[in-house]
Amino acid sequence: MQFLNVLNANIRREYILLKRYLPNTIAMLITFYVLFLGMFAGISLIGDPSTQDTNIQYVIVNYIFWFLAMVVVNDIGWQITNEATQGTLEQLGMSPMGIWKIMLSRLLSTTLIEFIIIIGLLYLSMFTAGQWLNVDVLSILPILILTLISMFGLGLIIAGFTMILKQIQAFLQILQFLLAGLTFVPLSVAPFLAFFPFVKGIDMVRGIMINGMTLSQFALADILILVFNAVFYFGIGLFVFLRCERFAMQKGLLAHY
Amino acid sequence: MTTPIIEVQNLKKSYKKRKTKEWITAVNDISFTVNKGEILGLLGPNGAGKTTTIKMICGLVRPDSGSVSISGIDNQQKRLQAQEHISAVLEGNRNLYWRLTVRENMEYFAGNRGKSRKEVASRIDELLQQFRLKDKENEMVNRLSRGMQQKLAIAVAMLAGSDVILLDEPTLGLDIETGYEVRELLREIVRNEQKTIIITSHDMDVIQDLCERTVIINNGKVVTNDRVENLLKLFEVRAYAIKLEGHLSEEQHQLLLEKFPLLEYKPDTVHSILEVDLTQSQDIYELFDILKLEQIPVDTIDRKTINFEQVFLKIVNGRDKVAVSQRA
Repeated sequence: MQFLNVLNANIRREYILLKRYLPNTIAMLITFYVLFLGMFAGISLIGDPSTQDTNIQYVIVNYIFWFLAMVVVNDIGWQITNEATQGTLEQLGMSPMGIWKIMLSRLLSTTLIEFIIIIGLLYLSMFTAGQWLNVDVLSILPILILTLISMFGLGLIIAGFTMILKQIQAFLQILQFLLAGLTFVPLSVAPFLAFFPFVKGIDMVRGIMINGMTLSQFALADILILVFNAVFYFGIGLFVFLRCERFAMQKGLLAHY
Repeated sequence: MTTPIIEVQNLKKSYKKRKTKEWITAVNDISFTVNKGEILGLLGPNGAGKTTTIKMICGLVRPDSGSVSISGIDNQQKRLQAQEHISAVLEGNRNLYWRLTVRENMEYFAGNRGKSRKEVASRIDELLQQFRLKDKENEMVNRLSRGMQQKLAIAVAMLAGSDVILLDEPTLGLDIETGYEVRELLREIVRNEQKTIIITSHDMDVIQDLCERTVIINNGKVVTNDRVENLLKLFEVRAYAIKLEGHLSEEQHQLLLEKFPLLEYKPDTVHSILEVDLTQSQDIYELFDILKLEQIPVDTIDRKTINFEQVFLKIVNGRDKVAVSQRA
């Protein structure tokens, strides 16, 4: 119950800030949309016409997931940096709920709020491309939830390191390209990536949205890998975060830098 | 019998300087207790180790050794449990979210302590009234004055409903009027809410005015732990201003300085004044013996009034190490 109150407080904060920074949010959306248009134009103009439709569909799904990964994984790093600069990180550290629960609720609230934007972006992209993908919510949702859990794990790792290093902006810039790499590269090209966080999930969602698969058509091994990734990366993320928090408290690093 | 709500035992903390890689001892074996409902001043010059001590009490910095217990809970072993009993306004003006309003800040911080908006709504109204922020409740924090921000930060700490509140420099950077208002609010909190408060401040008027007892830290060590009134009395008793008829000769001045190195001689046109802080009150007799022997006529003798700032400076400058006891 107490965690629900933490979550509620953070969802509310996220929503208020999104409204207050509306020009920023709109600018970010326009940037993403323009980037998508660039890719779409590239495929339409110089891509192989025989695979054009499939390529565009891939771009839409990959692009949406890249945006999601950025929001979930990268944003938490920026948030910690801002909190430390503002001096509010120590106040969060004073909560009897523990910083990790606040950070987890930040991850959840950011995802929930941004998800509405993501859905808008998805339909805008499909409309622009004239390619309507299979949005089978019942099949996508369980996969998406498990994929998000592994993303949260990665987000907690980033949050933990940011708490110690603080000046991690340069790394966060690079990270967005690493995330692009993980979302754009198909598993058929690099099967070992299935054990990387969220790659398997995105591949399965691609199967549903592009190839029209349903959840029951996936092999048990696929589901097991997805569950394993979710548990493993979330566990690792939480462990790393708690170790980083302990280290930051030993070195007195929660204060502004 | 008073019950300690905070027990600080043999705290030690060292930091490695980034540039020189040199180890700095910020806190060196500090121990003290704070009783329930007490308002304690934690004082010391810059770099004495006050903020590190405060942060170790808050559980934000882990000590190298030693322990802190709050309401009987060890804040290293059961940090989150201990944090239920403590809230803090840390130094600086960034304890709040500047892009949230007054009310939103209060609701957000309460939410992060696991409380629902409904649960705290009436308490928020009460605090907004008490802190005279009701008309600003929908104002964004970045539009508030420094004083209002500070009042809000204290209100947020109050909203936590903890037994102990730590205030690191609560009046720093405030104008006289707001500083006074904050001081009055703190006095009200102590009187009406029965909270245990630890204050660090450079403003000795605040300490003298609000605190029952002070722990003075210097170079990471506790140099004094005593009631404010005891310290004032201790120094008042031994500070005298003696008005002499005429002036002292150079030899007489030197003779007095040999015996009383802290003596200050202030010659006037007709009179002269000797200001002396005596290590022990009976030293006054020795001073009069010298004056009598040298046939120096005394006009008046006044006991000097001393404020807490002077007491603090004397203690920190180490001039009264021997005399100041740890009596708390």
